[in-house]
Amino acid sequence: MKYAVVAVAGLLCYPSAAFAQSVTDAQIASIVVTANEVDIDAGKIAEARATSHEVKTFARLMVSDHTGVNKSATDLVTRLKVTPQDNPTSQSLKAEGDKNIATLKTLKGDAFDKAYVDHEVAYHQQVIDALDKTLIPGATNAELKALLVKVRPAFVTHLEHAKSLQSSLSKGH
Amino acid sequence: MRTATFAAALGLMLGMVGSSVAAPSKAKAHTVTIEDMRFQPADLVVAPGDTVVWINKDLVAHTATSQVGGFDSNLILASDSWRYTVQKKKGDFAYICTLHPAMKGTLRVK
Repeated sequence: MKYAVVAVAGLLCYPSAAFAQSVTDAQIASIVVTANEVDIDAGKIAEARATSHEVKTFARLMVSDHTGVNKSATDLVTRLKVTPQDNPTSQSLKAEGDKNIATLKTLKGDAFDKAYVDHEVAYHQQVIDALDKTLIPGATNAELKALLVKVRPAFVTHLEHAKSLQSSLSKGH
Repeated sequence: MRTATFAAALGLMLGMVGSSVAAPSKAKAHTVTIEDMRFQPADLVVAPGDTVVWINKDLVAHTATSQVGGFDSNLILASDSWRYTVQKKKGDFAYICTLHPAMKGTLRVK
């Protein structure tokens, strides 16, 4: 029964399966940096291509907020002399981010806005789950753990913001 | 006589100096900490002439922008702060972070 639940959860959101492993601080550093980078990349495309003013504003915010978070993360791991280490989770985040960008590049207008926002909702939920289940409990260094705790509220706010956009887009069309 | 007048004038001057010092000393300094994507305290009672400093302890930039006019911090970068001297107009000034509009606060000028 327990296995069945785990299997279903894994199917529902496959990158979580990769998160559900123990991670080192070096791997966490790589996951955090990659997670921010993929959202910055998607945000840059949406800043330029989104139709809705609200979606454009959100995209601009994602670029600036995730750049800020990444700067803090990079400063910390540099100071701690932790070299980010590539791992299955960061690889799947990157692969999924690339796939998202490839999809977004084929879309225009309202379809673009919807696809971008839908992905932002899923992405932020996924990162929050990873923070709660794997990254925060898994971090060994106290400062790294504190940084992860500190970034969490920003992801929650972004998730709520994306969900509210999602609902206004679906009402508008 | 001359001395008495001088003393009275001096007393008056000192009194004036005293009162002019006393007025600003009543002005309070308040702090609103911006942390975990929240204004803390979200609700703050202030008086005209008080100062409020918003300290951004988050990793991302924020603003403290009144929705009814009066004050707008513009960007308060991470680890930065913004100081505002409360103006004469009394009332409730609801404010938000324009970047993260779910972040809300109120300055109650009494």
